[in-house]
Amino acid sequence: MWRKLKRLGVAHIGDGLAALPADARTLEQFEWLADEIAEAGGASTLWRAELTSHAQERSVVGDMAAARAQEYADIADRARKVAQVSMAATESMRMLRSLRRELRQVQRRDFFPPPEREIARTEVASLARAVLDQNPTTTAEAPELVVES
Amino acid sequence: MKWATRAGIHIDRAAAAWLIARFIDPEAVFEFVTDPADVMPGSVPFDMRGVEFGHHAHDCTFETLLRRHDLNDPVLWRIAQIVHQADLDDERFDAPEAPGLDTALRGLSMVCDDLQILTITGPVFNGLYEFFKRELLLGTEPA
Repeated sequence: MWRKLKRLGVAHIGDGLAALPADARTLEQFEWLADEIAEAGGASTLWRAELTSHAQERSVVGDMAAARAQEYADIADRARKVAQVSMAATESMRMLRSLRRELRQVQRRDFFPPPEREIARTEVASLARAVLDQNPTTTAEAPELVVES
Repeated sequence: MKWATRAGIHIDRAAAAWLIARFIDPEAVFEFVTDPADVMPGSVPFDMRGVEFGHHAHDCTFETLLRRHDLNDPVLWRIAQIVHQADLDDERFDAPEAPGLDTALRGLSMVCDDLQILTITGPVFNGLYEFFKRELLLGTEPA
């Protein structure tokens, strides 16, 4: 259950208390989780809550952004390392695919994008260029056209 | 039969409605409600909290419908993987088609009402069904 909450990018407000910014999509995600908890014999309640001060709100938002920033920094770091280490083309391609997937997932649970997002995107994009330049045929193999006149 | 689901449909409800109309109840009529309490008596609710045809354990509604109606068609289960990943994005299946379909459906929901979405996504799912059926028969991706 906590793994699922983590995947949604929740803010942990306290013991057994998690929060997401309210919209139709996050509400639905929480509702299905609540049903799953009920099916497993547990109990949960869903609250639409509002913080009473901007300072508190900023603090929750700041924590969420910091958690995403850490994940972006980790992705950027690994992209940089893969780009520096020389490895087989298939291996670097595999790493690139996995980093792209991770980046997409982090972006999906990122409600308050921190500056690290752009860094991660840039690092993964430049890794992609490096990998594809190293081995241009791994992804896009152009069909050979023979034109006879 | 009348089938009711939550308004503001997305991938799982669009796919479920297609599945219902094509494989479960050819006479299906769909209604969209904002509050589960508004489901008319006699209507079968789906993709709503606490109903039989909703998410159960790891399954999204589309998968639940397949299980509860004993639909064992491998082509439908292939589509189920895409719907599951587009809806839940939990890495359970490898379905590279999912992010694209998810984006298309989210965009559609911004410019179409629920009935229009079903009108558009019906042929899309018919096409996907045909594609994966041919793929299964050929053993390789169809041209």
